[in-house]
Amino acid sequence: MSVIRRNNVLVRGSGQRTIVFSHGFGCDQAMWRFVSPSFENDFTTVLFDHVGAGRSDLNAYDPHKYSSLTGYADDLVEIGEALGLQNAVFVGHSVSAMIGVLASLKAPALFGDLVLVGPSARYINEEGYHGGFEEDDIDELLASLGDNHMGWSKAMAPAIMGNADRPELAEELTDSFCRTDPDIARRFARVTFTSDNRSDLPHVKARTLVLQCRDDIIASEEVGEYVRDHIPGSKMVLLNATGHCPNLSAPGEVVAAIREFV
Amino acid sequence: MSYVADLEDLFDNAPCGYVVTDSHGRILLVNRTLATWLGIEAAAMMGKRFLDLMPVSGRMFYETHFSPMLRMQGFFHEVAIDLIKGDNSRLAALANATQKTEGGETVTKIAIFQATSRRKYERELSDARAELATANASLTETAKLRDEFVAILGHDLRNPIAAIGGGIRVLYREELTPRGREIAKLVEGSVKRMSRLIDDVLDLSKARLGGGLTVVRHAEPNLTHEIEQVVSEIEMGAGRSIARRLDLPGPLFLDSARIMQLISNLLGNAISHGAADQPIEVSANIREGCLEVAVSNGGDPIPNEMLPRLFQPFFRGNDSTGTQGLGLGLHISSEIAKAHGGTLSVSSSAARTTFLLKIPVDNNLHAI
Repeated sequence: MSVIRRNNVLVRGSGQRTIVFSHGFGCDQAMWRFVSPSFENDFTTVLFDHVGAGRSDLNAYDPHKYSSLTGYADDLVEIGEALGLQNAVFVGHSVSAMIGVLASLKAPALFGDLVLVGPSARYINEEGYHGGFEEDDIDELLASLGDNHMGWSKAMAPAIMGNADRPELAEELTDSFCRTDPDIARRFARVTFTSDNRSDLPHVKARTLVLQCRDDIIASEEVGEYVRDHIPGSKMVLLNATGHCPNLSAPGEVVAAIREFV
Repeated sequence: MSYVADLEDLFDNAPCGYVVTDSHGRILLVNRTLATWLGIEAAAMMGKRFLDLMPVSGRMFYETHFSPMLRMQGFFHEVAIDLIKGDNSRLAALANATQKTEGGETVTKIAIFQATSRRKYERELSDARAELATANASLTETAKLRDEFVAILGHDLRNPIAAIGGGIRVLYREELTPRGREIAKLVEGSVKRMSRLIDDVLDLSKARLGGGLTVVRHAEPNLTHEIEQVVSEIEMGAGRSIARRLDLPGPLFLDSARIMQLISNLLGNAISHGAADQPIEVSANIREGCLEVAVSNGGDPIPNEMLPRLFQPFFRGNDSTGTQGLGLGLHISSEIAKAHGGTLSVSSSAARTTFLLKIPVDNNLHAI
């Protein structure tokens, strides 16, 4: 199984430098649909789905490997190696911010710049640390994942593919966004919201930009500031956008901030 | 009522909750129905985020799944959410929403339906499924333990049986009264029968534990001779003759010991279930790319309703002779056929009952 197929890697654009866009918990590479096209003229863009999300190869989902963010970071490094990337730009949303951090520690030559959109090094509150959530919240989230019928049967996957040119199927196509196997979603949620990468931050060598939204219930400003303060030399830009997904709600602002930085 | 009053009534007293939010997810409008359901004044909800009406876990899921969906496709359907009521209890709800951006403002309209009973029912279903899965896993485990137990028991029974058999053979060399000799012979017969029963049980448990019966194929130079020998032994034991039409080339590549076990089972059945006054026949030949072995007998046909269950383990027909075994013979025989890539089938009429083994062989007469 090639890495390219496994992670549904999509390479577009033309440019000396490559930008890799990495989606977070909940959706797939479609999260970047309003952002990545803006870079295709002067960058090579790379989009991919984490294993278990989007159109990745579900058969490659190994609960043991993906029981920590390291498994996802290993995949990211493999994608970089398969594409021969060096000194690329990494743009990671939500949990992918820390996946990018881990990958940059493992393969320092891979990324010269890291753009972390709504990052959090630790979601759960602790003595002396404010992550925004209590352990009970995470347990309740895991328990409630079954309430929504987000799980699409494996048989439905082919219907999602290549219908963009058939508008009558638009609803079916778009309705497939953010649908994941419930069991995988539960495991990914657990990995995401119980991870603790605070000790990794000081080792980051890549130039780092934190993009922080206002009023983000998943990763508050305080959490973003923690990341900024612990990655040496990093800086933070506070966007006007509210919520957790500026890549969808304020793509222009996100594009401008990334361009300003790289 | 005026048209506008009608519309206001339609909005406020609609049979569903209704919320409109601005670009930042803050509540611009909420109808009376939802306010009543939640036990919170509509005015008190104005300006709050819609997210604030949800428990933390719900907000997390909403922000990571449904907000993106709304942004990307402009709507979501049938989303299960919990809303927190004024008294801090929860309202289980289903929501549909649409989102539109006009003149820089992104407006989201959300329709909310009570789903308390439905949620309860769904959770019950989900719990029941989880319980079934647990029960199923436990049953599978119990069944495996039972198979292991049977395998060990069968194996351990072999030693004392072998000792009894050995003892009988020693007794034969002693001076015995005619009555003593007769009893020794009866005991020897019983020992043989018991050994066969144990072998069958072991075959079954091994097959179940190992995912199928194992066969060890080798080049059998003279299958005709092997069959002759089995048939002769059974003729002697049963005290009647068996007709044979054996026309086989050699060598054949198969597990001849297993094939003999199968033929012996079929002949044993023919003797015990067939009519004593009608001939039993064995034929073996190569036809149309298959090794075919047929064993047939006369007598009462096997009732139609029994045919589908004939090859299942522990199936015992209405046998009046009282000499039946565990009901494993035909099952094991059909497993032997399957392990050779072949089939064992039966046809039964008032004239004859015939069991037919078919094993595909290639041009080199290897079982495929």
